[in-house]
Amino acid sequence: MTQTSIAHAVSVRALGKRYHVGTSGGALYDRLGGALGRRSAAETDAQTMWAIRDVSFEVPQGHVLAVLGRNGSGKSTLMKILAKVTAPTEGEAMTRGRVGAMLQVGTGFHPELTGRDNILLSGMILGMGRHEIESVQDQIIEFAEIGRYLDAPVKHYSSGMYLRLAFSVSAHLAADILLIDEVLAVGDAGFQRKCQARIRELVGMGKTVLFVSHSAAAVRSLCDSAVVLDQGTIRFTGDTEDALRFYETEIVSS
Amino acid sequence: MTPDAVPAQLGADAESGASTLITLIRPPRRWPGLDLGELWRYRAICLVLARRNLMVRYRQTLVGAAWALLQPVSLMLVFTVFFGALARVPSEGIPYPVFFLSGLVVWQMVSKILNEGSTSVVANATLVGRVYFPRAYFPISVAIASLADLLFGLVALAAVLIFYGIAPTSLLLIPPLLAIAWLAALGVSLSLSAINTTYRDVTQLLPFLAQLWMFISPVIYPSTLVPEPIRWLYFLNPVALSIEGFRHAVAGTPAPDAAAWLVSTLSTAFLLIVGYLVFRHREPTFADVV
Repeated sequence: MTQTSIAHAVSVRALGKRYHVGTSGGALYDRLGGALGRRSAAETDAQTMWAIRDVSFEVPQGHVLAVLGRNGSGKSTLMKILAKVTAPTEGEAMTRGRVGAMLQVGTGFHPELTGRDNILLSGMILGMGRHEIESVQDQIIEFAEIGRYLDAPVKHYSSGMYLRLAFSVSAHLAADILLIDEVLAVGDAGFQRKCQARIRELVGMGKTVLFVSHSAAAVRSLCDSAVVLDQGTIRFTGDTEDALRFYETEIVSS
Repeated sequence: MTPDAVPAQLGADAESGASTLITLIRPPRRWPGLDLGELWRYRAICLVLARRNLMVRYRQTLVGAAWALLQPVSLMLVFTVFFGALARVPSEGIPYPVFFLSGLVVWQMVSKILNEGSTSVVANATLVGRVYFPRAYFPISVAIASLADLLFGLVALAAVLIFYGIAPTSLLLIPPLLAIAWLAALGVSLSLSAINTTYRDVTQLLPFLAQLWMFISPVIYPSTLVPEPIRWLYFLNPVALSIEGFRHAVAGTPAPDAAAWLVSTLSTAFLLIVGYLVFRHREPTFADVV
């Protein structure tokens, strides 16, 4: 990548994450067996797997980066590391500004809390003060179109309402960097358009977005550049159109 | 890392990129530090979680928060019949209902922190897997919520004290004594909640552990039943000091001696520090195993 004078909102260097397969939740005696040396080195190797490895890229502030890849290519792991939800095994990443994450459809809501309390909780997770959160609350509610359900626990929400509130919260709280993982795929076409318009607005305000999606149309209309992940490593970095073409020909059809 | 930059940046756009919060994400060290600054920075979350804990518990119940009063009082009646009247357990010269209830009030707080705190990280798997904030807030918020139950228990106890015409001897001693049991229980629940993410055996062990802890605490019997030469060992359990001292403060039973104070205070510090260290050690793996 070329060196620019613009500050990078996100920079990732040689990032890797290894998971233990099968043993992570295992019973104690499995672990004890391992500790006592009953397990050979080869066996231990077979039980770990690199979800991502040697991943490096940079995102200039105000850019939208698409992260493309098949299921299991490491996209979600990458997003989780940037959101500080899970820790990397090697390498490092740097984020400049507050990071707001929408990881998969679950988001960071607590099912027993009301919509209103979840807005508060999400804001606090971002490090916002109560007054600051209340100042954007009306915008959030209006965008999400949840109306009178605001004071009902979110476990009673339909998946559509849940998604609308989740997106609205992320898109109005004071995050400087937004991580959006697959979440838009669930909404109806009208809401998807609304979300895309809001993302453009945010980018216009100088926010940086990392966008994981399987929708070529959404990627094409939103993203400035893209990286293609395959089996945990980056296969392509560059222009969105080229990346989509590479993804179609090299990854999907191979 | 410039944690101090956070509050200063409220509402500011990212245009002035240079002054915004910079977060460096690296593989965790094997034994991460205490990072109390991080804990303090996110403190507002704790109250939201504690409030949620209280709201959720009595939702969909008939009598609601009255359970917090009904439980200790009904237990007091049953225990008074069996241990006070039938088994004639000594009660240090005060009526057995007062004796038992003063121990129970402290014990119920400990028991709630132990039971709910130790399962709190696993119970909040959805949040753990989606967003970041210090995970210690799960057990800590349970401990804060337990103070509400404590309050109800104190109300019940006050009523019983008035009924028997007993006046408290030393109200000033109560806060530090309760703090000792509270901190010790929090320390234990920090370690157990962290271990429980990988080994759900903890969830299976909890009822047994809670029962055991209650039996080694002077809830239904006085600590004077323990032979004098080894009684200091008994106070390795800080809840023992907390209950004996609390009973002394509200009903004038003999006060625990200096050795008991010393042993229990050291033991509390040990449980809390080790608990938090164990928690910090395992914290980076939580999202991968819950």
